Amino acid sequence: MSLDDLPGELILWILIVSELLVFAAGITAMMATQLTDPQGFSAARAMLDGRMAALNTVVLVTSGLLAARAERAAGAGDRRGARVALMGAALGGLAFLSIKAAEYARDLAAGAGMDSHPFFTFYFLLTGFHAAHVIAGVAVLALVAIRARPDAVQAGAMFWHMVDLVWVLILPPIYLLG
Amino acid sequence: MTPLTRTWATLIALSAATVLLVPMPGRAAMAGLLVLAWLKARAILGGFLHLRTAPGWLAALTVPLALWLAAIWGLAALSFR
Repeated sequence: MSLDDLPGELILWILIVSELLVFAAGITAMMATQLTDPQGFSAARAMLDGRMAALNTVVLVTSGLLAARAERAAGAGDRRGARVALMGAALGGLAFLSIKAAEYARDLAAGAGMDSHPFFTFYFLLTGFHAAHVIAGVAVLALVAIRARPDAVQAGAMFWHMVDLVWVLILPPIYLLG
Repeated sequence: MTPLTRTWATLIALSAATVLLVPMPGRAAMAGLLVLAWLKARAILGGFLHLRTAPGWLAALTVPLALWLAAIWGLAALSFR
């Protein structure tokens, strides 16, 4: 086991681990705060629509598959195939953001604001920060599609998989536990 | 089925299992949901991020993740004693 064994650029792995640590700290703080008001957190969490989160999981992992296929195509010298797959992955990101926007609109209409309960402060901060990464990821996928060089496409795909990875880890504590 | 498609199918199956487990109450169900999240993370790290081909690195990330998820389960279990 050495650093040379890691696929892709080392700096991207440093980024992935750093992002995991940031989101883990936020989720841990939310779960610790929940100890002070379990019933309130449970009631607030029940206002969320888990079906939209489940749909977004399917959208994001499918988008991740397209990013992985783009990486493989670019590595095989198929720039056109890589571009098509990257655009598909980016469209998946836009679909994720559309569903997330509809979910936020529904939450706000139901009276769930940043200040209405500490749970919602964590909810909007953590999912909003994640959505910001999705926006950045869509931009990265579009940028690397321009020249579709294998190393750049691999870097873009790794960033996209990090967004996917964070989502599957923050989903249960935010939507499902309690 | 290519390894990438297999990883995607695994993630979809794990997501479906999560949906099925959601209505179940109790601490065991919460543990199950977190185990499913860990399996999804492992699939992404191993399949999409290729750590399955990097000796030792998959465990280097998934073991700390498992410990963190266990801590999250502990906090959730304490909240709903």
